[in-house]
Amino acid sequence: MNIKAVSWSFKHQALQFIADPQWIIPSIIAPFLFTVVALYMYGDVDGPVVLTAVLGGGVLGMWGNTLFTSGYSVSYDRYNGTIEPIMLTPTHLIDVIAGRCIWNTFIGLLNAGLVFIAAQVVFRVGVNVLDPLPFFLMLAMTLLALASIGLMFAALYVLTRASFVIMTIMEFPIYVFSGALFPVSSLGSLAPISYFLAPTWGVDAMKIAGIAGYESMTSFGILFDVGMMIFLMLLYVAAGMLLFRTIERNIRESGTLVRY
Amino acid sequence: MPFVSDRMRVIRSSFVMSIHDTFTTVRPSIWIIQLIVPSLFAMFFFSMMATWAGADPEFVIIGNAVQSIGITTIYAVAGIPGTQKHIGTMTSLAVTPSSLFSIFFGMSIFGIIAGFMSIAVSLTAAAFIFGVNMASINLFSAVIVIVLTAFSVGGISMTISSVGIYLRTSAIIANIAAYIGLVLCGVNFPVSDLPGWAQTIAHCHPLTYAVEATRGAVNGNGIMDMASTWSDPIPMMIILGIIFIIVSLLTFGFFEKLSRNSSKMDTF
Repeated sequence: MNIKAVSWSFKHQALQFIADPQWIIPSIIAPFLFTVVALYMYGDVDGPVVLTAVLGGGVLGMWGNTLFTSGYSVSYDRYNGTIEPIMLTPTHLIDVIAGRCIWNTFIGLLNAGLVFIAAQVVFRVGVNVLDPLPFFLMLAMTLLALASIGLMFAALYVLTRASFVIMTIMEFPIYVFSGALFPVSSLGSLAPISYFLAPTWGVDAMKIAGIAGYESMTSFGILFDVGMMIFLMLLYVAAGMLLFRTIERNIRESGTLVRY
Repeated sequence: MPFVSDRMRVIRSSFVMSIHDTFTTVRPSIWIIQLIVPSLFAMFFFSMMATWAGADPEFVIIGNAVQSIGITTIYAVAGIPGTQKHIGTMTSLAVTPSSLFSIFFGMSIFGIIAGFMSIAVSLTAAAFIFGVNMASINLFSAVIVIVLTAFSVGGISMTISSVGIYLRTSAIIANIAAYIGLVLCGVNFPVSDLPGWAQTIAHCHPLTYAVEATRGAVNGNGIMDMASTWSDPIPMMIILGIIFIIVSLLTFGFFEKLSRNSSKMDTF
């Protein structure tokens, strides 16, 4: 991976965001409203459950932002006619997309922060984190886990001109299977799907660090969650690189890159 | 009546073109998946939340089946001006003798039909996948309610769409309108749980009545049972649908003029 290209792509995406920051709003609305629904639904239950709703809403916010902004960034290159020049440079497309994904996920933190603030101000929910340092460390790692999934999907956005279809379809599965707003165990026979998602382990680790008396998915503790998260992240990045390489070759051969 | 027939011709050709446009970019199979999958996941997601919170999952599943129109119709219709700006055809459309309202109304019909299909499929899924008891459903009422929902939500979508002619994007307002039903319209919990000011807003949104009427139809209520007074869901959906169509007609004219005067038609 070309670190210089990744860092410049990160800076470029940051500048684009600063030029038009309104794009954070569409990606935060759904997760924010889901949190409000959760707070209404869980209204009669005790503190830790309400805290779960707020933490979960934050994670959903990060995912919404990663998914939509990463997808749109490729679509806009297609719309604006800049995807071909990018492909002509010696830098691999994955390096450009990786920088963007990292920025988008980083901005997702802002989404999470807004959900926390809104919960405090509007619903007067006391968000008391049990162990702040490991909690924020796990939050950062969950962000990277989401970015790695975003990177993998970005390859598909390059392949298809209907990236918005993938974005719409992929939004809810992560919400459902990450265990962000309800425990993975309540998914019953579908629960094993969650174990293949790095953010699921991140959410579990965050809850171990943040919520007193939280019952983890496994009995192995936070380090096991971290290990699983890193393993799955590496797997996603490897799959993403492979996908990018294959798709890049295919679209060069077929000449279908700028079709939309 | 040459004026009416011209207008109808514009609406019809815009409708046909919008179908061509949609399926040129997206394969029909993928379009159908896009129509069904998010709604099914939303129903599943919120029913899981309801189960965990000790609420009634059936209440939530039916609510979200109706809410599926929020994503399909509101988002699709409200996004039309943004798409035209992006592909550079907005000014070309504006310089034609046809009114933008007729063109965009024609383009919106497909989104409104998609919304109708989305609710119908979601309610079918509610019965056959999520196991909602539909033994006493009044099928005639359910069909009428779905048609009226598509009509009334189509009206609100057109109003939002008009804003997109002037603003750089209508995506923000479309997002708010598409998802606000989750909180305000009794989709996941009763409207009576909301604070007073929020209940007032809820009663101006056709989705609130659509959710109430759908639950009524599932419980076996006939159309007349839900239309005995003006404040019942069926008359309210018709009234709000007509009001929003009239409002959209006015706002289209207003934003078109504003956009021409400020030369903002191509800004995105």
